[in-house]
Amino acid sequence: MYVYDSFDHTFVRERNAEFADQVARRLSGELSEDQFKPLRLMNGLYLQLHAYMLRIAVPYGVLSSKQVRKLAHIARTYDRDFGHFTTRQNLQFNWIKLADTPKILEELAEVEMHALQTSGNCIRNTTTDQFAGAARDEHTDPRPWAEVIRQWSSIHPEFTFLPRKFKIAITGAAKDRAAIRVHDIGLHAKPEGFDVYVGGGMGRTPHLGHLIKSSLPGEQLLSYLEAALRVYNRYGRRDNIYKARIKILVSALGPEEYARQVEEEWNTLDKAKIDAPSAEIVRIRSFFPDPVFTDKTFDRVALERAQIADPAFARWVKNNTHAHKRDDHVSVTISLKPVGLPPGDASSAQMDVMADVADQFAYGELRVSHEQNIILPHVAKTDLYELYRQLDAVNLSTANGGKITDMIACPGLDYCTLANARSIPLAQDISQRFADAELTDKIGDLQIKISGCINACGHHHVGHIGILGVDKQGIEFYQILLGGRADEKAALGQITGKGLSAEAVPAAIERVVQLYLKLRTDESERFIDALERLGRDTFAEALHEPA
Amino acid sequence: MSPLNSSHTPQLVTSEGEIIPDGWTLLDDEDTTGVDGPYVLGFDRALRELDGLNGHYGVRVNPADDVRLLLPFIEKITLIEVAFPGYRDGRGYSTARILREEGYTGAIRAVGDVLRDQLFHMLRCGFNEFLVKDSDPAGAIAAAKTRFTTFYQGAADANRPAWALRHNA
Repeated sequence: MYVYDSFDHTFVRERNAEFADQVARRLSGELSEDQFKPLRLMNGLYLQLHAYMLRIAVPYGVLSSKQVRKLAHIARTYDRDFGHFTTRQNLQFNWIKLADTPKILEELAEVEMHALQTSGNCIRNTTTDQFAGAARDEHTDPRPWAEVIRQWSSIHPEFTFLPRKFKIAITGAAKDRAAIRVHDIGLHAKPEGFDVYVGGGMGRTPHLGHLIKSSLPGEQLLSYLEAALRVYNRYGRRDNIYKARIKILVSALGPEEYARQVEEEWNTLDKAKIDAPSAEIVRIRSFFPDPVFTDKTFDRVALERAQIADPAFARWVKNNTHAHKRDDHVSVTISLKPVGLPPGDASSAQMDVMADVADQFAYGELRVSHEQNIILPHVAKTDLYELYRQLDAVNLSTANGGKITDMIACPGLDYCTLANARSIPLAQDISQRFADAELTDKIGDLQIKISGCINACGHHHVGHIGILGVDKQGIEFYQILLGGRADEKAALGQITGKGLSAEAVPAAIERVVQLYLKLRTDESERFIDALERLGRDTFAEALHEPA
Repeated sequence: MSPLNSSHTPQLVTSEGEIIPDGWTLLDDEDTTGVDGPYVLGFDRALRELDGLNGHYGVRVNPADDVRLLLPFIEKITLIEVAFPGYRDGRGYSTARILREEGYTGAIRAVGDVLRDQLFHMLRCGFNEFLVKDSDPAGAIAAAKTRFTTFYQGAADANRPAWALRHNA
């Protein structure tokens, strides 16, 4: 992974000193809360329902074991002994004291981490494929480019007060696991250059991004982004916070006109002053080599024997491993979705164990996925059973990767000031309903995504089944969407019928799932495929009428 | 508790930290350009009248104004006031950068809701005068200029990005 040089270290130290000064001025009263707000937000500090929440940046979701141990230490020392991994591949601490934040940032800086630009109307953490550098279907490693963008966007002086937040995602594989078409800018890195999608997003008015540029040379990526951001900064709406994202601008101008304006702006720029030279891209790329893969030979027979002897292990291997570019390795998903617990949470003790197993079996590297799980990108198949046993000992062996209980849920009304409804308890109820392993496996791949309000932090627009919490005259209820997906065939789900009470949702979902099991051609036809073949209406009826 | 720092009367300070008097007069659209200049014209008026005027003028640019429209008259402009009606409206940063990219070398002054914590960004985008609300404008400029020694991107100032220093590019 990327290793800081003296420039990077100095930058984070200087930024932390600036923020410590801002905190001191807020505490002394020199800054009003209104003035402090945009400053603290640019450093990931939110005022939530009960306390400050600090969102720590995990650039493109990549973590070392050492960093994970530090996060565990921070959770133990400054929070309530747990952290929450987010859909933006970051980590949130929900119970932070304002006065502690400078000290926490100092601790983070020791392991080359920060909380910079994890909120505020600026360019946020660039996200990418959690299997980057490992996946069999990858053609271009997106991580070096994500790092190039991270550096360029860090305290970009022109783009720190954008109309609204700005999120960039990159994929470099055939399958899009980074959801690039629901980001402000989505990049598909290909050998011949970048495909650039603009204007995707969720929230109140979901849009899929439009392709505005193909085969953009990597050496000109930054100047093109600079032009794209400048057009947005100048012409994005600022009169209404709900219409301020770039998707609204792109949709008002039309993608062709937006693309034309970007091209025109790009042509005025002195690209040599903006684009990092090839030597820098080569330098950054040099930090992302393959690990020195173990020379232990893969004992296929031993693995098969363990799977026969321990069916729970066999199930975990089937559901929680992903094809690696090497035959003797896999990528492993450590599910943070145990039945009945909040999605994405990990205790300090669990973080320590994940760091330990990463050192022991995964070359010290971990990832955060946008599905709020932890990934070990490179694991030798020979080590799988021992890894599984160590994870199982701390309740980290839930075998539901990509399955119905591997839900995304926002923090919801339990934490968030914006939410209309609770998300976490509903996710817990649904996971209880589908706790049966055999049923889960029979259903196969099915993504449920839950948001506690129309801001869509739980990505309900792109869930195969999306659930949106709304508040009507003080009563929480939930609208159900069907048919969304965020992959290379991205589509937005559509609301079906009337909202349901929290109590009614799990049963309604079960009716839809049972109908799917009845109607599918065979096991290979996934829920989303059957939905496309048969149409939403077929399933919408089951949602709203007891079978 | 300390008093709110932004409650201080705005003072004009340069990028060199010098407090300077404001010798310019902002003209209302109906005011005539007499002999008591120098004058700052509103953006629309500048577009209408600069072509027929002699001498040097200032122009007030609001966030929604396209500063490139001033380029045909840029020789007659020695001050551009970029207005920040609110702290969080960042359009003025692009305005300043475009002016510097187009070769404008006169004064670019930030006016309006200009507070200490914006000065760093403004300096990097090419502003060189600031009507800032702060108890110590010169100190605020000094802090903005020394807070960071590492920069990750090229901008309108002389600071070289980290990649340039890494590769001596």
